[in-house]
Amino acid sequence: MAGDRSPKHPRDEGKPAPGANQAWAAISYLIGGILVWGFAGWLVDRWLDTGGIATAIGAVVGAAGGVLLIARRLGR
Amino acid sequence: MWAAEDPHFPPTVDEFFPPAIAGPFVTKFTILVWLAVGILIIFYLLAYRKPKMVPTRMQWLAESVYGFNRDNVANQMIGHEGVRFAAYFTTLFSFILLTNLFGIIPGIQMSTNSHIAFPIVLAIISYVMFIYIGVRKYGFGAYFKKALLPPAPWYVLPLLIPIEFFSTFLVRPVTLSLRLFANMFAGHMILAVFTLGGFVLLQSTWLLKPVAILSFAMAIALTFLEFLVIILQAYIFVILTSSYVGGALAEEH
Repeated sequence: MAGDRSPKHPRDEGKPAPGANQAWAAISYLIGGILVWGFAGWLVDRWLDTGGIATAIGAVVGAAGGVLLIARRLGR
Repeated sequence: MWAAEDPHFPPTVDEFFPPAIAGPFVTKFTILVWLAVGILIIFYLLAYRKPKMVPTRMQWLAESVYGFNRDNVANQMIGHEGVRFAAYFTTLFSFILLTNLFGIIPGIQMSTNSHIAFPIVLAIISYVMFIYIGVRKYGFGAYFKKALLPPAPWYVLPLLIPIEFFSTFLVRPVTLSLRLFANMFAGHMILAVFTLGGFVLLQSTWLLKPVAILSFAMAIALTFLEFLVIILQAYIFVILTSSYVGGALAEEH
C-alpha cells in the first residue's frame, strides 16, 4: 500500500523500484483483458446474433484474466 | 460573428497545420525540430568541452540532467545494467523537454509534439528498442516466450496470452505516443482559447470587456500549469521507456 513504507533494506538499493511502472502495467493488464475478450465476445455476438450476452461474458472473463495476470506477474 | 474574421476565435485543428515555408516538407514544425536538435548538440558540446572540478553553470545543468537520467531513471528502473542506456534516456528526455517547452516560449508557442507524427516516431524508437534489446539478450524465441507466457497453469494460458500480447505489443506504443501528443495538443488548445478569447471579449460590448482580464489571467495561470505538464510528460515518456527496457531485460523470477 502507498501509506506504509517498510524500512529500506540495503539489498533493495539499485533494484527496480516498484511504483509507477507497476501501476501502469496493472492498469494495462486489466483494461487489456476486458478489451481483448470483450472484443472476442462482440465478434461472437455479431456471428451468432446473441445480442450482447457474449460481449458481457467476454468482458468479465477478460477482467478475470487481467486480475490473474496482475497477481502472477506483479504480485510477489 | 464580427470577431470571426480577425482573431480566428474558436481555434481549430488548422492551428496545427502551418503553411509550408519552403517546399512541402519544410514547415514551422520541421524548423523547430532542427532548432531543438541544434540547440541540444551545441549545449552538450559546450557544457562538456572543458569539464572542470568546480563546474560552470552550464556544466552543472548538463551534469544534473544526465545524473538525473542515470540515477533516477536508468539505474532505478533497470538496475546495474541501466547505465548503458543512460545516454539515450538523457537524449530522449532533453529532446522531449525542449520541444515541449517550445509550446510556451513566447513567439514560438507551438510544440512539435502536439503534432502526432513526432510522438509516433519517438514511440516507435522506444518500441523497436525494447524488443530488440530483449531479443538480443534472450534470442528470438526465448524472448517472446518470456514476454508472452506468464507463470500460470496451462489451462488458463489461452486466456492470458492474448491479453499479454495486447498489453505488451499493441497498447504500449499507442499509449506512449498518444499520451504525449494529447497532452501537448490539449495544452496548446487551452492556451489558445483563453488568449484569443480575451481578444474577442475586448472587441465585444463594454459589458464583456472586463471579462477579458479574467481570460488573460487564466491564460497566464494555465501557462504555469502547462510548464508542469511539460516536465511531467518528458519524465513519464522516459520512465516508461526505461521500464519497458527493464522489463525486456529482467530475468524471470
